[in-house]
Amino acid sequence: MKCFPKLIALAIGATTPLLVSAGQWEGPLNGIVSTVIVKGYDTYSASSKILQQQSNALCSSPSEQTLHAAQTAFQTNALDWQQVQWLNFGPVTYFMRYYAFEYWPDKKGVTQRQLRALSQGDPSVMDAPKFWTSASIAVRGLTAVESLLYHPDFAPTQSANHCRLLEKVTSHHFESADAVAKQWQEAKAQDWVFDEEGTGFDPEEVALEQFLQQWIEHMSAVKDAKLETPIGYNGRENLKLAEFYRSDLSLKAIQKNLQSYREIYHAGSPSLYDLAKQINPTLAEKLNQQLTQNVKLSLLLPSNYFHSDQHDDRVALAKPLVKSISSSQSYLASMVTQLGFQIGFNSRDGD
Amino acid sequence: MLSRRSFLALSGAMMTAPSWATITQQDPNATLYASAYSLNKKEHFFGVFDSKGDILWAAPLSDRAHAPVIHPNQSIIGIVARRPGFYIDFFDVSSNQRIKRITPNKDHHFYGHALFTDDGVHLITQENHYTTGQGKIVVRNWPSGNIIQSYSSNGIGPHESVFLDQHVLVIANGGLMTHPDEDRKILNLDTMKPNVTYLSLKDGSIINQASHEEELHQLSIRHLDVNEQGTVALGFQYQGDIRDQVPLLGLSRVNQSHIEYLPIPEDIRIRFKQYCGSVCFDKSGEVLAISTPKGGLVAYWHIDSKTFLGIENCRDVCGLVATDNAHEFLLTSGTGVQLASNPVQNSNKMIKKHTNIHWDNHFRHIKT
Repeated sequence: MKCFPKLIALAIGATTPLLVSAGQWEGPLNGIVSTVIVKGYDTYSASSKILQQQSNALCSSPSEQTLHAAQTAFQTNALDWQQVQWLNFGPVTYFMRYYAFEYWPDKKGVTQRQLRALSQGDPSVMDAPKFWTSASIAVRGLTAVESLLYHPDFAPTQSANHCRLLEKVTSHHFESADAVAKQWQEAKAQDWVFDEEGTGFDPEEVALEQFLQQWIEHMSAVKDAKLETPIGYNGRENLKLAEFYRSDLSLKAIQKNLQSYREIYHAGSPSLYDLAKQINPTLAEKLNQQLTQNVKLSLLLPSNYFHSDQHDDRVALAKPLVKSISSSQSYLASMVTQLGFQIGFNSRDGD
Repeated sequence: MLSRRSFLALSGAMMTAPSWATITQQDPNATLYASAYSLNKKEHFFGVFDSKGDILWAAPLSDRAHAPVIHPNQSIIGIVARRPGFYIDFFDVSSNQRIKRITPNKDHHFYGHALFTDDGVHLITQENHYTTGQGKIVVRNWPSGNIIQSYSSNGIGPHESVFLDQHVLVIANGGLMTHPDEDRKILNLDTMKPNVTYLSLKDGSIINQASHEEELHQLSIRHLDVNEQGTVALGFQYQGDIRDQVPLLGLSRVNQSHIEYLPIPEDIRIRFKQYCGSVCFDKSGEVLAISTPKGGLVAYWHIDSKTFLGIENCRDVCGLVATDNAHEFLLTSGTGVQLASNPVQNSNKMIKKHTNIHWDNHFRHIKT
């Protein structure tokens, strides 16, 4: 076999810029930050505050009514989280906040075990100045709150210790959510990328590249971890692996995620959709329609879809949505490549 | 098995004393590196580039590859297929020919890495006997490719190995049982037990072996390097929960029964995302570099004092080699960057950015 001579090798090695122009990515980046992230964290922070207040109200006056109000506040807050969950980037990455906001999946029941230990121990330890920032991520956020409000091991209407624990967790959870919201208000996405000195580094492009990578990865997680795994699409069914199954939010969480994807795609001027249309209008439209189709198909699933005593045909019901999300993944990956981004050649396919 | 005709042709190629002069005509002292790279999902190459980052030679490949293997005294370079790999292609750069393809025996595959003995007489590969899942160290004669010895790697999933000296091979048994029928699916996640094994190449006996405590049994020992003082650096890839706080790199010695974990600031450890790419000592053996493509950085340690020195941010970085200068490394990334980095001087220098090239996982320094 004859190999490439030097001239051809040089030609291969020659640098050929793709779509680079200053400020090219400003539209979608700023649009996603302002429309999806800043607004999303503001909403999340506000509902975290309400969750904290309702928890305090529950503990001040324990009753089924105040418990129900706290549970409602939890549900709102957990769904607000779904709006921003796709992005593990920037302020949420500090102090393990991303994993603390929601400790899921929790296959080993770590949250319950640690909550039980905390509720049975000396409550004053939770008042130490740095207790919550250094506490286990399993007890710092929504997964812990859901357990305290829904798990039969905990009875905040009857146990002062359980309720006190709930107040502490929701207080810390609000502080974290609020801190992330404030940091997003005060900074740009470009401020959160790691500077690569001397490499012709464009923070705007890198930030958007990381957004796109996170979006791609989250779409996989929605299809695989949130939908396929608990219903046993490729194996055995275990509905307890579904996200927020105790509070019956598993399907609503997926629906919210899929809705946020359309917002990402259309945020800003120009948006990713606008830019994609300039390069490959057919592909841009296919992705657009598929993202809409995802939302529609998720809304067609029965509201009790993840209930254990319902639906022998759970896998069959999911098939159209699984296929639709798979198509979206392909279209999104193609669009990202055609826009000139290099997503994870080594980081997503190493050994 | 070589045919008589191809053996004679190959022997002829060897007798012409291949040299690197063909591609270094303008600069006989040029420093060369070999790496696989891709232009896109369909176009893949094996190339040689110089210290300016210019590609001087390239050969097309049918797919992405993993790590190059460099003959110590001939202008012959090989590239090992990605796991599960079924070939190593060898090229004579001076004649611009692919001179040989080595394939594993029946029911075996390569792991992506291979190495020549110092004298260039033997080629050593890490292999999976996938019907049993047992790791193998296979010694072949060069250039015939005939297997002359096959030892147990004394573990599962021997990914990479290095020479401690000419008689002792240090093997990173990653612990992952896989079968090519199921691509890279891990078949023993609950029972995996990686180890580092010091194997005698004289008789295949174990000279030393070290592994993690049971609670870290999912911490795959994947890549390694050794310095002249005999310190072996190990890079891990954790197969457990992304949220678990586990060590990601360690040190081992032939006379030490345990793995010593290196300190790493927690904010940096988190950025690794439980994944180390390449492991490399600098020329002096004093500084260790570990890349993480998932984290987009290379982290450095001073080995004697076990001091964390800092990081070099570089997206999708994986390739690492020591340059001829003490404390200096050359980095390659999937974004096309070739970067010189010196963590002691806190300096870096972009060699070149090939915007249309994705440098693959590992590259090697060619001693011309």
